[in-house]
Amino acid sequence: IMSQLFLGGKASSGKLNSWVEPSFGDLFGSSGLNSLPLAKAPLSGGNKSRAQPSGVDVGGKKPRKRKGALQAAKPVFPPRRQDSQEPQDEPWVQVYAPQLQAELAVHKKKVEEVEKWLRVHLDLNHGGAVLLLTGPSGCGKTATVHVLARDLGCQIQEWSNPVTTSEYRTDDSFRQTFDPDSRFNSFHWTSQTGAFQEFLLRANKYDRLPMRGDGQAQDRKLILVEDFPNQFYRQPGCLHDTLRRFARTGRRPLVFVVSDSLSGDSSSRLLFPKEVQEELGIRTISSPSHGASWYATLSASCEMTRCCRAVVVVFSDPEKAVLEQLCAGSSGDIRSAINSLQFSSFAEHSLEKGAWASKKGKSAASAARVPARPKGGNRSTRSAEVLDDSPAIGGKDTSLFLFRALGKILYCKREAYEGCEVPKLPSHLSVHQRDRMIVDPEVITHKQTCRSHMSGEFFSLYLHQNYPDFFSDMDDVARASEYLSDADFLTAEWSSRPTMSEYGSSVATRGLIYSNSARAQATSQSHVGFKPLHKPHWLHINKTYRENYLAAQSLFISFCLTPVSLMTELVPYLAQLSNPMRNQAQIAFIQDVGHLSLRRFPGRLKLEALGDKEPGGLDLDGESDDAGTQTTGQGTRTLPSSSQEPGADFPSSQPQPTTADALLDEEDILIEEYDSD
Amino acid sequence: MSLWVDKYRPTSLAKLDYHKDQANQLRNLVQCGDFPHLLVYGPSGAGKKTRIMCVLRELYGAGVEKLRIEHQSVTAPSKKKIEINTIASNYHLEVNPGDAGNSDRVVIQELIKTVAQSQQIQSSTQREFKVVLLTEVDRLTKDAQHALRRTMEKYMATCRLVLCCNSTSKVIAPIRSRCLAVRVPLPSVEEVCSVLTGVCRKEGLLLPPELAKQIAEKSGRNLRRALLMCEACRVQQYPFSADQDIPETDWEVYLRETANAIVSQQSPQRLMEVRTRLYELLTHCIPPEIIIKGLVTELLGNCDGHLKAEVAQMAAYYEHRLQLGSKAIYHLEAFVAKFMAIYKKFMEDGLDNFMF
Repeated sequence: IMSQLFLGGKASSGKLNSWVEPSFGDLFGSSGLNSLPLAKAPLSGGNKSRAQPSGVDVGGKKPRKRKGALQAAKPVFPPRRQDSQEPQDEPWVQVYAPQLQAELAVHKKKVEEVEKWLRVHLDLNHGGAVLLLTGPSGCGKTATVHVLARDLGCQIQEWSNPVTTSEYRTDDSFRQTFDPDSRFNSFHWTSQTGAFQEFLLRANKYDRLPMRGDGQAQDRKLILVEDFPNQFYRQPGCLHDTLRRFARTGRRPLVFVVSDSLSGDSSSRLLFPKEVQEELGIRTISSPSHGASWYATLSASCEMTRCCRAVVVVFSDPEKAVLEQLCAGSSGDIRSAINSLQFSSFAEHSLEKGAWASKKGKSAASAARVPARPKGGNRSTRSAEVLDDSPAIGGKDTSLFLFRALGKILYCKREAYEGCEVPKLPSHLSVHQRDRMIVDPEVITHKQTCRSHMSGEFFSLYLHQNYPDFFSDMDDVARASEYLSDADFLTAEWSSRPTMSEYGSSVATRGLIYSNSARAQATSQSHVGFKPLHKPHWLHINKTYRENYLAAQSLFISFCLTPVSLMTELVPYLAQLSNPMRNQAQIAFIQDVGHLSLRRFPGRLKLEALGDKEPGGLDLDGESDDAGTQTTGQGTRTLPSSSQEPGADFPSSQPQPTTADALLDEEDILIEEYDSD
Repeated sequence: MSLWVDKYRPTSLAKLDYHKDQANQLRNLVQCGDFPHLLVYGPSGAGKKTRIMCVLRELYGAGVEKLRIEHQSVTAPSKKKIEINTIASNYHLEVNPGDAGNSDRVVIQELIKTVAQSQQIQSSTQREFKVVLLTEVDRLTKDAQHALRRTMEKYMATCRLVLCCNSTSKVIAPIRSRCLAVRVPLPSVEEVCSVLTGVCRKEGLLLPPELAKQIAEKSGRNLRRALLMCEACRVQQYPFSADQDIPETDWEVYLRETANAIVSQQSPQRLMEVRTRLYELLTHCIPPEIIIKGLVTELLGNCDGHLKAEVAQMAAYYEHRLQLGSKAIYHLEAFVAKFMAIYKKFMEDGLDNFMF
């Protein structure tokens, strides 16, 4: 019941039916032609918009975008139609939301794909089809659905989580006063999950009541779910059951919109695991981000200028540099970019330049530099810059992808000291002379631990997996490995680990950088070329070790041996004896563990490439395993992830040179899939 | 068909093959009635466990040989459930507290309490105490060892402890002083040979003395290993020949190949290959300490005098790290890398000297 009906179609202001308009346009009490007889008298604007559960929300003629950052701050004003005088009261995100497909900032092919799907499944009786749209926040998932729905002339019925339970209570008490004899309404409460199921049921079964002035009959409807009841995050099984039921009985297409996040806790993976997707035939379309933060500027600023052309006309044209900086700061999130644009011009739009004055020098400089640089060449310095001066307004944390963080440490770029300031070491120490580092290792590890929730030890594991490729001299490797050993030693004690882990990763990173004497001078930094990075094996190995260990002990307990002699003496010799074992499990174990293939280089370990966009998910599994011997040293975090499993989860487990290429690749694959359906 | 090791394990003190004086002393100890806590230590494969089982049999008769495997679960104060396997007869309980990891303190206390609280039935005809046999005491945490100290005294009336470990250096002094320490040394080569010959005779096989000697030497006087080797020889070839190859375990061969790989080339790429091999060994449950020890033994063979000292020192350093650190591979690899660096330098210097 707490759904918001959107008028999808051509609900231009002229066609607005009479009962809608008063509820938004007029003052509250004046002509309360409310269709709901039960609705109580509204107290204030803010309450009102919430307390009208099934009101038709036509915020102007735009579909309302929820989650708009600014919007949340200003529900106090009753929404006004935009063609009335003051457009700045309304978030620009809504005011200038895309109306046509051409205006969508999403890649054209993606839009086509969604449109195709909708066309096929919008016909009635086609069965409950489910579409899952994923992508980073603010890339235009919801906007796509809205625009397409409008084009296809269907309504959107949207689920939103009920805000509080108090709503129900007031509602109930209200009903009680109306109907005191009713015994059923004494106290009515449903769980969010229940409410969600009911919503699906109703949205599925019943058409909207035909309204006066509604234009053509709208028998086409799609159900949109962006919010999930919290319960589903705890028990995704509930959702799956609901979905299964829906798949059997559904008549309407159901669209889920799920945002990805950079830090790896992708809710889409939690809510819609692969098996369920296959089982229910859920179609997944993921829109890629508008380029990651470091070279988003150009494309995103195009999007932005297009989106905001009206704005730009109305107000003084914001400088290009400002726009660029906003785009860079938003890391491809259009919504936040527009919001910050509005905010920046909102404060004092005549003094806009003043507000940017402090930033101007820097931003102008960077703007001047941007076009001059080839995209690939000096990315690292540039991104370091972007990372350092985060935009003043609306800047998002530009989180460093693991791939790049590792690269920074392993390639360890240096720059020569300028002329006089060279601090010279005496000649007998000159082997230790190093040029200045461009990056600060602590900054990188800090970014990793704080933003990507990756522990320092785990980061060191990644470094350890990959460092030998970057070294050429054996002495250097020995020194580097010693530093890594030191780092592990520092963080070994679980009780002091929280304090020491920073030092540990500092020792590991700085040690690695220092040891690489081939890259000690800026001038001598030979071109290493691209080296693929790999995921660490250790966690997997350690897990296998422990599993085998336990298995051995439980299988061969009757031999009463200590584990060491069991593993080094009994099992290997049993493998050589043709001793009939007691059970199948023992035989299998001996075959597996007792024998070592004596081929020179075993092929058991597959190197797993680390993708350039991977968040380097927190490997809780492995980590906690690892901490198993250390009692409860860690394990408070509960982010699910599975980077240990072969890259199946990550659509981009291969290094991807540029986003543009990635986009094309991915599209090709997806379209093939579609044809085969 | 069981293994020779188990099939011909002596079951009473009288039947023990070597250290007969000690066996006599143990028998006297049992017969004099008052039985102290025991701390049995000695290298692996010397027959500690066999000896302990013989003592138990002396104490309780054949009843101790009816063993059953029990899965017990102990709840720690932190509500964590710990599953542990125990082997028990009516008279004794055998636990390897190392299985419980860091919660070994709780496990030990709980198990001993359970055993000690139930009195022996028919104590007139039987001993009035039960025995708890703890293996691998040297792997107990300090915490657990201190807890053990108190528990030992508290339940002295109904329960005796037999502790079994490889070395007493990791057992805290208060425990050592509460126990009668019994050291079981390795059998000499001759003793191993006689045991092997005896077993083969019982199997109806003829073991050439040369081969027996070879096996005994190769096994490092570890009797269990010697018997397993002997049985593997039997599978490989019978009748035995005096100069036949004694089968080694796969992991030993693999480890030797790894050491050869380290010696033959020193480069970061080779280090990666060695790492893969180390991982392979680890997945086959070869403990990191054994790996490093094996590597050192193999590598030392390839070194010159003064290099040997350096390598041994390095190995000790990283073995120490290994014990204290949390992720073995760092330390194993650091050792390998360091060796590679030293060895490379050594070879290059040697080459220079040779040239001039």
